[in-house]
Amino acid sequence: MAQMWITMGPQHPMTHGLWTLRVKVDGETVVDTEAELGYIHRGVEKIAEARDFTQITPYCDRLCYVSAMTWANSYIYAAEDLLEVEVPERAEYVRLIAAECQRLASHLMWLGAYGPDIGSLTLMTWCMRDREMFLDLLQELGGSRMHYNYPRVGGIKRDIPVGFADRLIAKVKLFEHRIDEYEMMLDESTIWLVRLQGVGYAKAEDMVNAGVSGPNIRAAGVNYDVRWAHPYSVYDQVDWEPAVEKPTSVKGADCYDRYRVRMEEMRQSCRMILDAIEKIPGGKNTNYANGDEMILAKAPTRAPEGASGFSHYECTRGASQFYIQGGGDGRGKNPYRLSIRSPMFITIPYVAKTMIGYKVADIPAIMGSFDPCIGETDR
Amino acid sequence: MVGDVTDEALKATKIKQFLSVLAGRYFNWAGRKSLFTLHLGIKCCAIEMAAAATPRFDGDRFGVLFRSSPRQSDVLLVNGPISKKFADKIVRLWEQMPEPKYCIAMGECAISGGPYFQSYNILEGVDTVIPVDVYIPGCPPRPEALIDGFGLLREKIIRIGAAPSSGRKGDKPIIVGED
Amino acid sequence: MRITNEQADTAAQAAVEVITGRFGGANVTASVEHHANALKMAFVRVHVPPQHWTALAKHLRFDLGVNYCSMVTGTHYPEGGADRGWEVVYHFMRQPVEDQAPHTNTVHIAEALKGDAIPLEFEIVITLPQGDTPSVPSVQNIWVGADWNEKETWDLVGIQFDGHENMHRVLNPHDSPDGFHPLQKQHKIRYHDFNEMYDDAQGFGRKPTDEGRVK
Repeated sequence: MAQMWITMGPQHPMTHGLWTLRVKVDGETVVDTEAELGYIHRGVEKIAEARDFTQITPYCDRLCYVSAMTWANSYIYAAEDLLEVEVPERAEYVRLIAAECQRLASHLMWLGAYGPDIGSLTLMTWCMRDREMFLDLLQELGGSRMHYNYPRVGGIKRDIPVGFADRLIAKVKLFEHRIDEYEMMLDESTIWLVRLQGVGYAKAEDMVNAGVSGPNIRAAGVNYDVRWAHPYSVYDQVDWEPAVEKPTSVKGADCYDRYRVRMEEMRQSCRMILDAIEKIPGGKNTNYANGDEMILAKAPTRAPEGASGFSHYECTRGASQFYIQGGGDGRGKNPYRLSIRSPMFITIPYVAKTMIGYKVADIPAIMGSFDPCIGETDR
Repeated sequence: MVGDVTDEALKATKIKQFLSVLAGRYFNWAGRKSLFTLHLGIKCCAIEMAAAATPRFDGDRFGVLFRSSPRQSDVLLVNGPISKKFADKIVRLWEQMPEPKYCIAMGECAISGGPYFQSYNILEGVDTVIPVDVYIPGCPPRPEALIDGFGLLREKIIRIGAAPSSGRKGDKPIIVGED
Repeated sequence: MRITNEQADTAAQAAVEVITGRFGGANVTASVEHHANALKMAFVRVHVPPQHWTALAKHLRFDLGVNYCSMVTGTHYPEGGADRGWEVVYHFMRQPVEDQAPHTNTVHIAEALKGDAIPLEFEIVITLPQGDTPSVPSVQNIWVGADWNEKETWDLVGIQFDGHENMHRVLNPHDSPDGFHPLQKQHKIRYHDFNEMYDDAQGFGRKPTDEGRVK
């Protein structure tokens, strides 16, 4: 039978974003693939050279829009490395709580988009309903449902509101029961198991050599996590473990392992949030004024030429990194070069090669299990 | 070229206008609450569009249904910045949609380039390449604003009838939030 | 659980000694640096001239176990002097990740990791002189993860990677003009002059010839 190239073009309901996947098919089997990115390339790295360090935070929110708080945090840690700032401990705790709430919202968005790929529209409605709980919490902190502009160089914009802790604890405890509901629906569903198991194998060392990181590695059996390997916040003081799965085959982790590791990560995030809100210095029911030294340290606004800073961060989809060189604008108010490392930019070409050998119907299952988000890919 | 009106299209337009005057009112009344939107997610506003379709805000009760193919949809909801690479493709999507069709520019990036107005790769608004009927400001606009935008589009449909999109150049677009 | 500062310092010190022992005479300087924020962890910074980069890359990958290529950054310094016209900065990590047998996994305890298993960050800085054709040997065959990173660096900054197969535009459109690399400093962003922006913020002054034109 003749082989032909099919374009799963930029506008496609299954691609989770705007990119083209061209597949060469021989009947139903995928023989070769080619990924094409860059449909929403905004040139953020160039725009950032004309912005102050505080003005760049909203751009970083909009990099991976599903997981905005983690990307803003990722940039802020690199800016603090460049400007040499010490962050007060309460601010670190609030950043941790916000980042883990965002991780929950992002994994729910992943599951809510993955369900329809496999055929379960119910899952979309359930997950988006639960995601709204966490968006409300993040809206209390940052002011908006999706782009919060919350961390500042040296701390956070404003403290947790009065009563936030009670709402947070109630919602997280309710959500832990909801995770049980999801697992009850999915873990024994024949359709789910048949479509996810045995599909999309990826081995750990191949993935690391290709630059893949995050839950995709933990699904392949190693509990490597930037939060303990290159520690940055108060993760060593809260009670958690990285979620890790046992791969089912010598060929590596399949889609089912990647699904399970994200469900387990959601449980660990709940555990972290409940522990952190109790341990927060200053108490969970106090609210410090904006700019108070408990939540925001004084930070320089200029970085001299020759200074540079970088930081790795465990974003929802992998390890992200910002590298900033100071000295822009002649006086150092802007970065001279801001470089962004997106885990998905590296993972998507790798995933495109993972699909070779499977059927066309397996493409959404494999693609979705790696959790692509094109906003960060195309910065 | 994009936007040129050929002779055949002009004739077809005139016939359509004649028919739409005859059957127009009924057609608009029936069609305005059944707006099939193209399943196109460009950037962050797409997540708010998805949230508008989910249980809390539920756009489906207003007749907003998402279709995968442009041949089957009425509304092109542009929810992100248009890059140079994608400009040609969004025009092609627009041209593939059958008349009557409407375009909603959702979010700052689609209206004017948004935070990326200085970028070397982003168009300053989708209205540089396709005609827009309703603008919904916000970054991102709340799902309630998106539903309000659809409501204003319904009022516009009643007002202008099923006029072809190339004839709507002089018509003032509606901006959500302006009274 | 976390990697302690002592573990990171020990690992960085050991790596610096190995690199200096092997490449010290070839104008390669390796040093232990510390982050200035958060927990002030140690990392390794190496300055290497482009002609020794391939040898150092192979040494890092096969002898030191650096298995993860994180990022490749290219920067243009039009005013950096004769010796510093371009800079290519590679970031790597050494990660203790190995293939697992079926139905088993590895649960690392951070404080118990020793020697080469301690995770470590590397920053490799390659400085190139002023000129119009900066080029660096490609490490596409050593780390698969460097492949698309190098494509992006060429696309945006214009640094050539010798020996890189299948180089093509990844973020800019494929029909971008040859030699258009937007992150070079001679390209300015739109409305870079703020006066131009504030005088006509809404675009009311757009000329009629600009109507409908794709800017």
